[in-house]
Amino acid sequence: MDEPGRPDGDEGAEGDLPEAAGRRLGGGSFSSGLTVPDFAACLQMGLRPVGLVQGFCVMQWGWYGAGSPYMRGMTPYSFGGSAPRGVYSESYRCPHGGYVYSNEHRIWGQNYQQPWVESAWGQGFGSAYTRLVEEAQEVGAHGVIGVVDSTRHLAEMNVTEFHILGTAVVVEDAPAPGGGTPWTTYLAGQRLAKLVEAGYMPVSVVAALASVRVWAYCVTEMLMEGTVSVWGSGYLPVSEIEQLSRAHIAARSLAREHVRGQLGTDDLQGAQIVANTQRLSQGDEVIECTLRGSRVRRFKDFDPLPAPRPTVRLS
Amino acid sequence: MSGTSQGAPPPAEIDIRAEMRRAAASLAAAAHDRRARAVTSDLSVDESLLLHSIGWEAVDVVFGSSVVSIPPGVWNWGSGEIAAASEAHNLAVRSAGDHLGEQCSAVRGHGVVGVRVEVDVQRHHVDVELTGTAVRPVKGKDAANVFVSDLSARDFTLLHNAGWGPIGLAFGASFVYAPRRSVGTTMRQSSQNVELTNFTEAMYSAREAGMEHMQRSALDMGAHGIVAVRVADGPMWFAHHAIGFTAWGTAVRLEAESHQYLRPQMVLPLDDATVEFEAQSLR
Repeated sequence: MDEPGRPDGDEGAEGDLPEAAGRRLGGGSFSSGLTVPDFAACLQMGLRPVGLVQGFCVMQWGWYGAGSPYMRGMTPYSFGGSAPRGVYSESYRCPHGGYVYSNEHRIWGQNYQQPWVESAWGQGFGSAYTRLVEEAQEVGAHGVIGVVDSTRHLAEMNVTEFHILGTAVVVEDAPAPGGGTPWTTYLAGQRLAKLVEAGYMPVSVVAALASVRVWAYCVTEMLMEGTVSVWGSGYLPVSEIEQLSRAHIAARSLAREHVRGQLGTDDLQGAQIVANTQRLSQGDEVIECTLRGSRVRRFKDFDPLPAPRPTVRLS
Repeated sequence: MSGTSQGAPPPAEIDIRAEMRRAAASLAAAAHDRRARAVTSDLSVDESLLLHSIGWEAVDVVFGSSVVSIPPGVWNWGSGEIAAASEAHNLAVRSAGDHLGEQCSAVRGHGVVGVRVEVDVQRHHVDVELTGTAVRPVKGKDAANVFVSDLSARDFTLLHNAGWGPIGLAFGASFVYAPRRSVGTTMRQSSQNVELTNFTEAMYSAREAGMEHMQRSALDMGAHGIVAVRVADGPMWFAHHAIGFTAWGTAVRLEAESHQYLRPQMVLPLDDATVEFEAQSLR
């Protein structure tokens, strides 16, 4: 496994399947996370469950220095400067004449992407995922269906657990997948059957996090605080807080582009988008958006589908 | 919706096991469909198939966000509508919808379906987040105007088959002060079971203004009506004397010459619900 951003001294996840897990998986009976209807549907499709496989990774979030949410005023992209190529960043300048009012006046602000947070999240998710796939390979699976993933904070520490599980299956009378790496999908049961009937084959689950830090400038701060205008008379009018609107759109768009980067020419099916905003002070925010779904590949053209017939249930 | 339309030939029986083997074997080969841009979608498999049945397809997941300020002091005690808060709310929804439409146009979509609407009203700002999937006809040209709809792809398909089309998200919000009761009234009512008419009237007032905003936004779009309207109301958590009312739905227009009656077929499922009883009744 080649995980980007892995810290020094970490041997990585490859080949680190516990010995006990190897013995259990070779025990002769299968285990499955499928519901009974999903289990029945998979047997009908010629998918034979061979084991419930899982991957874990516990990550500690380091002190990010200039990128820390608590380091207000510090930015990795200097005043008037720009972010590295391909990294989102935009600056906002005070329209009121700089230091006229006080030294605390926020004369400039910035929205910037935090690639170091994104890659750390990707490392945690990627390691857990790789360990899941290794367990699936251990039992000779062709694929993993009904994948479920979760992330949660452990105790009160700055520690996050990544957990991924799914049911390893063998496709009856089919050769092993190319390269020996099992395919994976969040789908199972009839939904998976419909996907295949529609001409798509699951390739892998994909997920990405995008993180955008907002360092508010004076206008954003005042609009979010609802403070009285200090340079004019009266109150600030109803107006869009452009810096925040753009940051929220950027976080979501970046997550979509990160996932798109994992798709190649394949498609993303059943995307799930979750966005969290951590408000640090008036206008200062960290916006994190995760996007996950099943990467699918078309293996045949769409057959002409019959027009659906509306029905009304009498019960 | 299920099955085939009357008179259409029955679909060929699919050997799902053979299809599964064929699909699994395909991973060893190069991708079947070589396009420059991957499709992303938050639709379910069912919804994708339904869209395909009417000649439409998903293009991309798109987003629209807007944060709009509310001036200080507007939540203080007063009377009538809190115009600045209502204006901020309506501006935030309109702006987020515009951003969503821009992203849809950028990927050559004709509209956005299944839009998830998230609104958060705070003391000094309103946050609106819209998320949906841009869709377009498989063999269509670029659209002059894109639509935004919170209808699911299933409802969109049904609407399309009935000869109607969505044209936009109609939205209305209003915030109104619940007037103070006099000291005498408060004292007199403290031991009574009585209607608080100041709150009832405030809710009616907010309702009328909110519905008016929504209807006006639909008419501005040239709609014939609004479907799937949802409403929410209640006091603001940070100002209990202020009542908020929001209403939203999809503005629709008849695109066929007349409404197409879908003639749904009645079905009677044979799987009876389990009859439950209490063990005590056996004594």
